[in-house]
Amino acid sequence: MSAATRRVEHVTCLGCGCACDDITVVVQHDRIGEARNACALGAAWFGDGTMTPDVRVHGRTAPLEQALDEATRILRAAQRPLVYLAADLSCEAQREAVALGDRLGAMLDSVSSGAAAGILAAQRRGRAGATLGEIRQRADVIVFWGTDPAERYPRFTSRYAVEPQGLQTPEGRRSRTVIAVDVGARRGPGDAAARVAVAPADEIDALGVMRATVQGRVATDHERFRSAVELARRMGAGRYVALVADGEPGAAPADPDAAEALVTLAQALNAPTRCALVVLRGGGNRSGADAVVTWQTGFPFAVDFAPGYPAYRPQHGAAGLLAAGEIDAALVIGSPASLPDSMATGLAPLVTVAIGPHVSGASFKPAVALDTGIAGIHEGGTAFRMDDVPLPLRPVLAGPPTAAGALRSLRERLGA
Amino acid sequence: MSAASRLRISGGTVYDPANGVDGEVRDVCIDGDRIVAELPSNVPRLDARGMIVMPGGVDIHAHIAGSSVNQGRRLLPEEHAADPVPAPRLADGATARSGTGGTIPSTFTTGYRYAGLGYTTAMEAAVAPLAARHAHAELDDTPIIDSGCFVLLGNDDYLLRQLAAGELARVRQYVAWLLGATRAYAIKIVNPGGIARWKSGGAERNVGAIDDPVGSSSVTPRKILEVLAGAANTLELPHPVHIHCNNLGQPGNVGTTLQSMQALAGQRAHFTHLQFHSYGGERGKGWKSAARDVIEHVNAHPEISADVGQVMFGPATTLTADAPVEHLLYTSTGRKWVNVDSELETGCGIVPYAYREQAAVAALQWAVGLELFLLARDPWRVVLSTDHPNGGSFLSYPQLIRLLMDRTYRDEQLKRVNQKMLVGSALLDGLGREYTLSEIAIITRAGPARLLGLKTKGHLGAGADADVTIYADHPDRAQMFATPRHVIKGGTIVVEEGQLRRAPAGRRLAVRPEYDAAVTKDLKRFFQDYACVSFENYGAEPVS
Repeated sequence: MSAATRRVEHVTCLGCGCACDDITVVVQHDRIGEARNACALGAAWFGDGTMTPDVRVHGRTAPLEQALDEATRILRAAQRPLVYLAADLSCEAQREAVALGDRLGAMLDSVSSGAAAGILAAQRRGRAGATLGEIRQRADVIVFWGTDPAERYPRFTSRYAVEPQGLQTPEGRRSRTVIAVDVGARRGPGDAAARVAVAPADEIDALGVMRATVQGRVATDHERFRSAVELARRMGAGRYVALVADGEPGAAPADPDAAEALVTLAQALNAPTRCALVVLRGGGNRSGADAVVTWQTGFPFAVDFAPGYPAYRPQHGAAGLLAAGEIDAALVIGSPASLPDSMATGLAPLVTVAIGPHVSGASFKPAVALDTGIAGIHEGGTAFRMDDVPLPLRPVLAGPPTAAGALRSLRERLGA
Repeated sequence: MSAASRLRISGGTVYDPANGVDGEVRDVCIDGDRIVAELPSNVPRLDARGMIVMPGGVDIHAHIAGSSVNQGRRLLPEEHAADPVPAPRLADGATARSGTGGTIPSTFTTGYRYAGLGYTTAMEAAVAPLAARHAHAELDDTPIIDSGCFVLLGNDDYLLRQLAAGELARVRQYVAWLLGATRAYAIKIVNPGGIARWKSGGAERNVGAIDDPVGSSSVTPRKILEVLAGAANTLELPHPVHIHCNNLGQPGNVGTTLQSMQALAGQRAHFTHLQFHSYGGERGKGWKSAARDVIEHVNAHPEISADVGQVMFGPATTLTADAPVEHLLYTSTGRKWVNVDSELETGCGIVPYAYREQAAVAALQWAVGLELFLLARDPWRVVLSTDHPNGGSFLSYPQLIRLLMDRTYRDEQLKRVNQKMLVGSALLDGLGREYTLSEIAIITRAGPARLLGLKTKGHLGAGADADVTIYADHPDRAQMFATPRHVIKGGTIVVEEGQLRRAPAGRRLAVRPEYDAAVTKDLKRFFQDYACVSFENYGAEPVS
């Protein structure tokens, strides 16, 4: 290996919520040459790691100090500021951001508001869950509910839920039964040992029928639920069942009732056997945002500091307030690419301060843009896997100022 | 007052039982962050005449930070909405944080409320090693109090495999390595073997007795207790192994509790939330108190210590690594229930709960806790806890203190509670004991500090940490202990005239025993075969 080449091992990838921490990054001439063990999604997330960081004030390149001064002025003048956590932030940056939101009396929200259905269901009912490694050790029946992790979580099946050998699953896949549930067009994995089709309109009812079956009740003898009843029996006969669903927007289940029905089915299965519901979450340390906001405020997202304390507004998060024209300035932190369309559109007419990777090119044209590195590539700290397991980040390249550092500077200026 | 300054707390009535001071009027001198024997007469004074001066409180067992606690927080939006906490106004324009309360407050509020209660140290009693990094991050956001983590062992697959293979020497090395890697302070055992059974699926969902086999016939709760207690004592850890016994909350569990104590005869061991483990009766046939049997054993065995885990009427959140118990509780009460199986290590179960005076079991639990307190002969070894937030919030400690100090008040409460299961309770025999202020100082600071091996805490002798709480001598002891006039933490006056004025960061208490590096070779192999986290990323230490 030449002097210009170095390797960083045990790197945590935040390309999706799997947070695989077995990546070896090969750096050649200050670029990422290779991310070994990474899937295609991970390789794309790492990219070559090069950036052309910029600091812009009202569209023009400016010194950092001037940008921080202008950001301070904008946020001080705001009557109804928004602090928004996008993806690709370390927990350390998220902690700084929540502190700023508190100080500003801001509305605080995050990309997790897109996963609200599942979060709110868990707040109403709780959860029957497990960390992903426990699925690997124990699960002999794995049911993919309207999701094929191959698309958005490519290494999920090889690292956690299907292939690997575990303490009680010594043969890997052969120790398990994999069942795909196709909910309309939301299809389970193609290589499942069995398939069950559920019409989207029947999804919640089917889950209810399954729960009744598990509890030894007969909810219906209708023909169209026969396969659901049969599936519930198979699950009840398992030793340890993993029920896998996608919690991110654009995937099942965006319907709060469906999310709740999945939780209560998983809970009910813990009477006759053991069951864990796995809710798949996206990358960029989204789960970290939920955890940090929860420990600092008591609520996982959509926290309004305007009353002088944290108030929960899950039905009236950032997107809603923007649409209603209630927000007059915003501080957006993290990767703009992770913003839902409604957010990017809502931010466009506003005076915004953006701190994060590639924010100088953000579509909503921030008044102050301060490019930082990407957490996990240029910035260290901590991130959470989708199952709330904390992992260290190992920066592989030097980068522009860190998001946590920039936020700290901003806090000092704002006296926070 | 900055950390480097000096202060004389003058004329207060001092309770410093570790140094044999029982209500004497004397000065307490602080230089920087330490107590000193004497100071020149011209240093600033804090007039404490007519007030009561004690060391800062030390909570030996609470759940305040980390993955399970945060799961609990996430589950309780209603509680948080009902108890908003604006940022306190600190001196010198320093920034403080807003938050929310309830049975599991946000981190900043947790720190402020402990300090406001006169507590300056609290131990987080259940940290899964895999999530230790998370617990430390939360404690970093929990101001003022010094804190430490008890790391969960006793259901972890690596340990169980070593026990099955008879590799007892390796266990000791593993424990030493793990304590350092997770920046922990002590070893915590929760329902030894029972969580492993719960996670493995199959018909056996928990262990029922201390000789039940766990996977292998050579692995039993008894074995786990013996080996880990031995490891803690051999490693000369400041706090012995901290044990949550099998069969928590089950009628008739007194047998298991006494057998666990007998299994460790002659070894130092701390039995936590003893109240939840002191029931007679039988499942399906009713409950009764067995507090007398348990406390007599504790009284007769000076190597054993305990905290009570008192139940207080009102809201609580049951939150424990003892996941099979929480499933039972969910089945009998449940609206909300969280279970999270933690890979290769432990579990987590959460059920929000309320103890009601009119509920027979809650009344029994309340009575059993009080019996343990009132029949304990050595307050240094039977100390105060509510297993916050399991038996009630730490904010209920002042009410509990009043129950212990004021027999009239206690008897009035006793009359109000459901009597159905109280037959045979020593409380009905008219336990007349009233704790003295000195005894309260022992069970809330001097005792826990001594049991934790915290040599500079829980007392006011020269060299001690300058953690001091000053109370107005109010005849209503609940009010007195709920609202200290002044609290000094590490030499900084954090509470002044009853108001929180400063919020410095607390320190982390941790041990780092030496170990033979050969154990990491074996561990790496185990990680390679089974773990889903790289060995190099495990634990709570900063990387590169």
